[in-house]
Amino acid sequence: MSDFTPRDPLGQLLRAAQQGDAAAYTELLRLVTPRIRQIVRRQRGFAGRAETEDLVQDVLLSLHAVRATYDPARPFVPWLLAIVRNRLADGARRYGRAARREVRVDENDVTFPEPEANLDVEALADAAALRDAVRALPEGQRQAIELLKLEELSLKEAAAMTGTSTGALKVATHRALATLRRTLRVKQS
Amino acid sequence: MNTDELIERLAKELQPVRPLPRPGIRATVWLLGAAAYVGALAVAMTAGRLPAGIGDVRMWLPLVAAFLATLLAARGAFASVVPGHAANAVGTLVLAALVWLGALVATSEWQLPAAAIASARHEWVCVAVIVGGGVPLMVLLAAMLRRGAPLKPGRTAALAAMTVGTLANVGACWSLPHASNEITLVWHGGTVLALVLVAAVAGRLVFTWRTAVRRNVPPPS
Repeated sequence: MSDFTPRDPLGQLLRAAQQGDAAAYTELLRLVTPRIRQIVRRQRGFAGRAETEDLVQDVLLSLHAVRATYDPARPFVPWLLAIVRNRLADGARRYGRAARREVRVDENDVTFPEPEANLDVEALADAAALRDAVRALPEGQRQAIELLKLEELSLKEAAAMTGTSTGALKVATHRALATLRRTLRVKQS
Repeated sequence: MNTDELIERLAKELQPVRPLPRPGIRATVWLLGAAAYVGALAVAMTAGRLPAGIGDVRMWLPLVAAFLATLLAARGAFASVVPGHAANAVGTLVLAALVWLGALVATSEWQLPAAAIASARHEWVCVAVIVGGGVPLMVLLAAMLRRGAPLKPGRTAALAAMTVGTLANVGACWSLPHASNEITLVWHGGTVLALVLVAAVAGRLVFTWRTAVRRNVPPPS
């Protein structure tokens, strides 16, 4: 006796689906999806809900793509499990490749290696002190800071606006930053 | 798209499909077409004459063994694309190779020096026949295998290369008989082994889930 008997109702549903029965197919997919989800959760316990659903959908799409390979004379569950295991293994390989390519940036506590580039954030917490310090800058330096750092214009745009050279603007910005750092450090101490 | 929506979409776009015949039947169908092609090529190359020494066991045994290896590898290749099939792809590959190469080893006389075997430049013709003549067979076999599930692409492709290589080897040996099986062992065996290795690496480019899904699942409308 073949394995395709009433004892294999899922196999019967897939056989009907192979003949184009959409209702049987919907029923089959609704029956197997929780089982697939359960396997995915068991094997990929660390996966979030979205990733789990991605994997479940991957399996469903694969099942759909190769539904012609199901032989109604053979049991359904080993056929399904072979697809699930294969797609999960593929998913794990993809995850591994992605993890190797990724660079964790959330552990970096500096933006640049030079200590000068890493201003003490608390020193800038007082916006009013910073505003006062900028106002106190000489005209050329204040203008350079406002245009380049606050309005984020390019050097060319700022130079065209002020009628100075880009070199002069760079020097003014550098001096302004040094003055601000000094002023704020004094205020903090 | 959530999973329930996907299920509805797949059911809505469901088309009837004919279940694929069993691996043995598919292998037989491919083999009939491939044997006709190889036979036609061999007849064309020999003008219909039987090869000299066909009655000698050193001639026919390796040919029969190679054909047996073709049968084993073909069935293994088709079984490897059926989910849940218990066939052991690597075991089948090794068995097919042992059957063919074992027959060659057993029927070799081991009288030629290694240098003479290695310098048998006329064997490049056989290499060309196996590789060039095998291309149409490989294309047809790959097209049939791609209707299955790409579960183990490298193994499927390796079995396919073994299938095609051993059958093309039969054609080459029939058309261009060799005086010494040692030469066949090294040159033909080496060629088929190289094809198997290349296929094992390149298989993942040919048999992919992405292609299977793209071919069988219509894009969302």
